[in-house]
Amino acid sequence: MRQFLVLLAVSYSGAAASVWWLSGFFPWFLLPDFPFLAIVFAGLFMGGPVGFLAAIPPALFRELTVSAPPWTFFLSSMALYFFSREIGLRIFVRAEYYILTIVVGLLLTESLSIVGLMLTAGSRPFSLLWGAEEAVRIAWTGLLAVPLYMDLSGRWQRVKE
Amino acid sequence: MGSFFRKWWRLLTAILLLSVAIQFFVRPPLALSRADSVHSAGSVVFRPVYATVDFARRGIHTVWSHYIALVEVSRENDRLRREVAALREKIHENRDTLLENRRLRELLHFSEAAERKTIGARVVGHDVSPWFQAVFIDAGIEAGVEPGMAVVTPAGGIGRIHKTYSGLAEVLLITDGRFAADVIVERSRVRAIAEGMGGNLCRLKYVSPTQDVVAGDRILFSGFDGSMPKGILLGTVVSADRPREGLFQKIKVQTAVNLQAAEEVLVVLSRPSIPFRAGKL
Repeated sequence: MRQFLVLLAVSYSGAAASVWWLSGFFPWFLLPDFPFLAIVFAGLFMGGPVGFLAAIPPALFRELTVSAPPWTFFLSSMALYFFSREIGLRIFVRAEYYILTIVVGLLLTESLSIVGLMLTAGSRPFSLLWGAEEAVRIAWTGLLAVPLYMDLSGRWQRVKE
Repeated sequence: MGSFFRKWWRLLTAILLLSVAIQFFVRPPLALSRADSVHSAGSVVFRPVYATVDFARRGIHTVWSHYIALVEVSRENDRLRREVAALREKIHENRDTLLENRRLRELLHFSEAAERKTIGARVVGHDVSPWFQAVFIDAGIEAGVEPGMAVVTPAGGIGRIHKTYSGLAEVLLITDGRFAADVIVERSRVRAIAEGMGGNLCRLKYVSPTQDVVAGDRILFSGFDGSMPKGILLGTVVSADRPREGLFQKIKVQTAVNLQAAEEVLVVLSRPSIPFRAGKL
């Protein structure tokens, strides 16, 4: 229950901070994607029904704050959870660079998939500047994931012991 | 076979979910475009955040305009007085034209009220993703706002309603890659399709190199496709390149409204003539 609540708080406050930040403060600079981090964390470090349930609220937050067609972000976020779970079961996450590689890999895959889909649909709203901003967002989110995941997983390991 | 599924069920579930998401993205089902209870309930979760953003922004604006910006007020007053005098002159000149215009409209049975019934709304939030360009406004289903309705300001077009919730609606901006509308060049009456390209820019598609479009031309929504009201300003052409190869010109348009800074908008409460499907414009 504690894990569920912590992830809920992290993802909600992260999404709210992004809304705050973008709505008039620095509209050109995107904050790290906290709901994304919460979903991947649930997949990598929390197993079973608790992990699955913990991934649902951040997926809903993404659905509500992103203007994609209805339900696409919720479904893709749940797919992200299952991908992360599979990675968590197959790879023993033993060092910081494992986390960095996994998170950056997943962020890149998600971003390139959406860009690919939009290009296939005929729209080309992406520029070099956009690419630079997106690279910063991915790097920023990936770098934040390392201390956040290490701290949360270490803390819960100690609670378990 | 059973062991294969037992071993890889998570990966298969992920692939299945992703396939459905891609299907919804490429071809959103019409039924999902309507507001549903989950989205409506979910929007309540973020409403305090949007309300706080709005409150904070208005607070900052009030402090700035009533205290800090007062230094400039007396200079601005003088300038405005001169402008008012000039505008008064202009109003006198235009009155005759206005009356004639009104008579002609009545003659054509043009119902202004029916065509342009609008409601005002405030921008309370922005889309948080890097891929889409959208804003949230504080008018929703109760105010009669529906997906597909046009959103404008006196300075120009803003976008179209994408999703509606209770007390909240999402507006897909004219610069989003999924936005497209029929437009016309004010000077030469050349028609084109405007498509969002991020930032504060749109591109004009399907304009042949022989057609007359130059930098500085004003682009208006034609209203032919029923997506945006006729005559609303989209923006100004910033570049028009005629490539040596290729069938069409490469034309970039700077939007008339700074979409990141827009605070108050008008929603045109007339249903779009073409059925609207969220995500596909």
